[in-house]
Amino acid sequence: MDFLTRLNKILNKVLTLTGGVFLIGMILLTCANIFIRQFYIPIRGTFELMGYAGAVVTAFALGYTQFTNGHISVDILVNTYPAPVKRFVSLINHGVCSLFFFIAAWQVVKKAMILKAAGELSETLRIIYYPFTLAVAFGCFVLALAIFTDFLKVVFPQKASAK
Amino acid sequence: MSLTLIGIIGIVLLLAILFVFGIPVGFAMGLVGFIGFAHVISVDASFNMLATVTWDTFSKYGLTVIPLFIFMGQIAFYSGVNEKLYTAAFTWVGHIRGGIAMATVLACAAFAAICGSNAATAATMTTVALPQMTKYKYEPMLSTGAIACGSTLGVVIPPSVVLIIIGLSTEQSIAELFYGGLGAGILLASLLTLTVYVLCSIYPSWGPTGEKTSLKAKILSLAGAVEMLILFMVVMLGLYFGLFTPTEAGAVGSFFAVVIALAQKKLSWNDFYNSIFDTLKISCMVIVIITGAMIFGRFLAITRIPFDIADWVVTLPFSKVTIMGIIFMIYIIGGAVMDALALLLITIPIFFPVAMELGYDPIWFGVTITIVTTLGAVTPPVGATTYVVGGMAKDVPLEKVFKGVAYFLPAYIICILIMMLFPKVVLFLPGLLK
Repeated sequence: MDFLTRLNKILNKVLTLTGGVFLIGMILLTCANIFIRQFYIPIRGTFELMGYAGAVVTAFALGYTQFTNGHISVDILVNTYPAPVKRFVSLINHGVCSLFFFIAAWQVVKKAMILKAAGELSETLRIIYYPFTLAVAFGCFVLALAIFTDFLKVVFPQKASAK
Repeated sequence: MSLTLIGIIGIVLLLAILFVFGIPVGFAMGLVGFIGFAHVISVDASFNMLATVTWDTFSKYGLTVIPLFIFMGQIAFYSGVNEKLYTAAFTWVGHIRGGIAMATVLACAAFAAICGSNAATAATMTTVALPQMTKYKYEPMLSTGAIACGSTLGVVIPPSVVLIIIGLSTEQSIAELFYGGLGAGILLASLLTLTVYVLCSIYPSWGPTGEKTSLKAKILSLAGAVEMLILFMVVMLGLYFGLFTPTEAGAVGSFFAVVIALAQKKLSWNDFYNSIFDTLKISCMVIVIITGAMIFGRFLAITRIPFDIADWVVTLPFSKVTIMGIIFMIYIIGGAVMDALALLLITIPIFFPVAMELGYDPIWFGVTITIVTTLGAVTPPVGATTYVVGGMAKDVPLEKVFKGVAYFLPAYIICILIMMLFPKVVLFLPGLLK
């Protein structure tokens, strides 16, 4: 449990920082494109690079957002439950969501492998883009891991609080 | 089992797991959409759809506008623009009765022009404006009500993430929605200011006058605040003249927000770091809800339920105004129990076709439901913005904050009525873009 929590913390910090670097890159690329096209031609492939970088920015923040309770939920009813019911509901909630995102990660990996096998290239720059698809899959996997850690914290509450 | 019935079961199941299990909104929509799609088509098709929608949504160019505008707002927030805007408004109108509460609403409106977050505006305005109003012995109901309601302008006045998402999910021009939101936001801000004036006319002790300031002090107070407002003008005019797309406007806004904050020496390394982390967290939350809504939307589309509802509603023996009134009531009730963004993403696929079938303008509908839903941010039981103000105003009981908010609710009702009677209030500025 302790190992998983630490792993989540480190992974999410590194990924969010990487996402931040991509965000700054997006701002600089767009501003450079607007500036350069005024007296020359637009930077080729800005449109698709922005899409790929945007994917990394949000996918790499998936785990961090879960880790910091950033996802919106409607807890108006859940807050009124007695503790044992709340714990049961939390188990179902985390169990189902973690399974769902493991499936999502696995399916996106499959999609990336299909793109790789087909030698799929981007429309303008003609570059391979399946690594970005894999990045989204990795983001989903880290989210699933963060939710699974929350699931374990509900299963072993004493161990979590003793720590 | 008919497809319509499956669609209805899907909607009921979604609401059940949202409320009973408290599953995050984006996850719940994705989950129900995934299961529903698998049930109607096949499990393999659903796996395929899940991967395709996830990748397509995360890598969609149109959605990159979201982190960019959020980053611009975060930079403005961390560099303390709120304080400057409040000081400027306070210097200009603080000397009239209820003037500090009016200054608070005006500062909220100005900050909304840079930042689209209700909670961020409410938190800083409580810190900055509440001590001033307490110092001048303002009635706590008036001061907290003005802050909570003024903060809701964040999602109406552009750039607003809510308007961006309405634009993307209904395939309407984001620039037109921004200009529609600007008209509606100015109207709402004026009505909130007028409410302060009326309240202070009825109860003069609620808003004593502040100190008078010289013209020189008034002009000097604009320094530091005016730069960010110029940035807002650059972004809006750039969109107006078609110099850049909304995504490019977000990037230009972010870039110059950082440059201005650095030039003013108001942005530390730590602030910059926090801006990045907050931006990624908020953007991710938004994109997850959009992805969930896309998956749920795919399921709804194969059941054809949005179109069936639209066809059914137009056959009802009610006038279109009555039907729109019912839709608004659903949004008010929904907004009171769940987040505005999530509510809009769940309901737009159902109500947007209805509004179009009834012959309403899509831009008008988008802007009006934004105002209707924002009411939920200040009304119980959820009322997130009111809780932020109540939580930070330690000496004011939460009931008093809610009571204070209640005094401002007629302003929202009047605003919605004006928008219904005179749609030009919303549509005039977008009309200039065409």
